[in-house]
Amino acid sequence: MERRGFIKKGLSWLAYIFGAAALAYPVFLFMSFRKIRKKTVVFHPDEQLAAANFKEGIYLIKKGTDFNALSARCTHLGCTLNFDAVSQQFKCPCHGSLFAISGKWVSGPARKDLMSIPVETEANGDMEVEFEI
Amino acid sequence: MSDTGKIINKISSYMPRLGLSALILCLASGIVLVFYYRPMGNVFQNVEEITTLVPYGWFFRQLHYGSGQLFTILMLLHTLDHFLRKRYRIYLFKEWVLLIFSLCLCFFVLFTGFVLKGDKEGFFAGQIFMNILEAIPFIGGSVSKLFIVPGDSFFFLPYLYHCFFLPILIIYLIRDHIREWFPNQRFLLIGTAGLFLYAIFVRPAIDIPPEASVAMIQGPWFFLGVQTLLKFLPVLLAGLIIPGLFVGCLLILPVIKTDSPTRDHRGRIAYVGENGLHYLLVVALCFYGFLTLRAAIWGP
Ligand code: HEM
Ligand code: FES
Repeated sequence: MERRGFIKKGLSWLAYIFGAAALAYPVFLFMSFRKIRKKTVVFHPDEQLAAANFKEGIYLIKKGTDFNALSARCTHLGCTLNFDAVSQQFKCPCHGSLFAISGKWVSGPARKDLMSIPVETEANGDMEVEFEI
Repeated sequence: MSDTGKIINKISSYMPRLGLSALILCLASGIVLVFYYRPMGNVFQNVEEITTLVPYGWFFRQLHYGSGQLFTILMLLHTLDHFLRKRYRIYLFKEWVLLIFSLCLCFFVLFTGFVLKGDKEGFFAGQIFMNILEAIPFIGGSVSKLFIVPGDSFFFLPYLYHCFFLPILIIYLIRDHIREWFPNQRFLLIGTAGLFLYAIFVRPAIDIPPEASVAMIQGPWFFLGVQTLLKFLPVLLAGLIIPGLFVGCLLILPVIKTDSPTRDHRGRIAYVGENGLHYLLVVALCFYGFLTLRAAIWGP
């Protein structure tokens, strides 16, 4: 008798758990869905003059006549990096990570290098950087 | 009872009542702010307009800030008072869990409020919070989206949590714990007068524009310790496991409650266990207090 009661209770618990999970799963998927969006940042010729040019979360780095783009997001926890023209390094204001102008991690808790993003040159001299957010 | 004992008892019964007055003012001023605040578009500009353009905006903002801080700080002290006097013993486990959970939610409201400012500090705090959640293995990416998402609607979910979900949930959870919802008029009057004076005479801290370049950014005061830990420890450990363990230990306190070092072997173990845990938590709290103070003085 006791055993039967136990099994019955166990089964009804299982039914509850499965029922709740069956309801929670679509709710969770709905709530945690997000469409990936693309963002384009355009650096006009007058915004390409410094060694590191910042615009909307991107650093456009000038090396001679070459350009490359780096994400300004710190690879630790996502704060926006400052560029220090004296030391030619990126510094994070949140937990102090340092990165070289090439994007390589130098010190601090971040560990990973900065994300580099392809740059496209337009006919009118604009530099276009497209990335996902 | 000694005189100091009486004074301490008085303070510990006044604190929650004053806290409740602060909560009422905070909810009222929050409802006023919601009429101008918009969590989309240029949030920083919107908040600056509240401070500089909207009639009495500066007053309601400061009143909301002060009452929110006061409420949470008084709830923290109230809990600390119960903890240090080992009064968790009089609670059922379920009650204690719900109350500690509510206290955590209060800090979460404070935190989302900090994000809602929309200035550089707020934006970075939100960014860090999102990235810590994303660091949870396997489910982090999905879990973080329940609270905050990057892009145009960055402030929208924190806004929903701050203005609707959390206040309602907190009030629901503490409904049985509060004996008297409208604290006697004296407390309401003192609380209101004090906070009005504060809002009129204390200038708010200057908000840092999101595009400004600042050498060091500080999180909200209660997370300064975590900010320091994040410098030296892996993200998951500093951001989730250590705070989680602390709250977890606090939660299980009433499970092993004992009244005295009793008779049998098990009773003695429970007694040592409870006291051990209690003092471990005291040491952890002192250490966190030290980290916070250090970060407040010398920077995190
Ligand atoms: C437990 C209750 C609450 C607490 C502890 C709290 C606390 C805070 C704090 C500390 C801020 C940041 C203020 C600043 O730094 O300038 C804030 C902002 C804000 N809160 Fe609340 N709040 C609470 C409830 C509410 C409610 C119920 C609403 C609306 C219905 C609300 C609406 C707002 C708005 C719109 C802001 C952004 C404007 C600003 O930054 O001044 N709050 N809150
Ligand atoms: S976010 Fe840059 S060091 Fe932590």
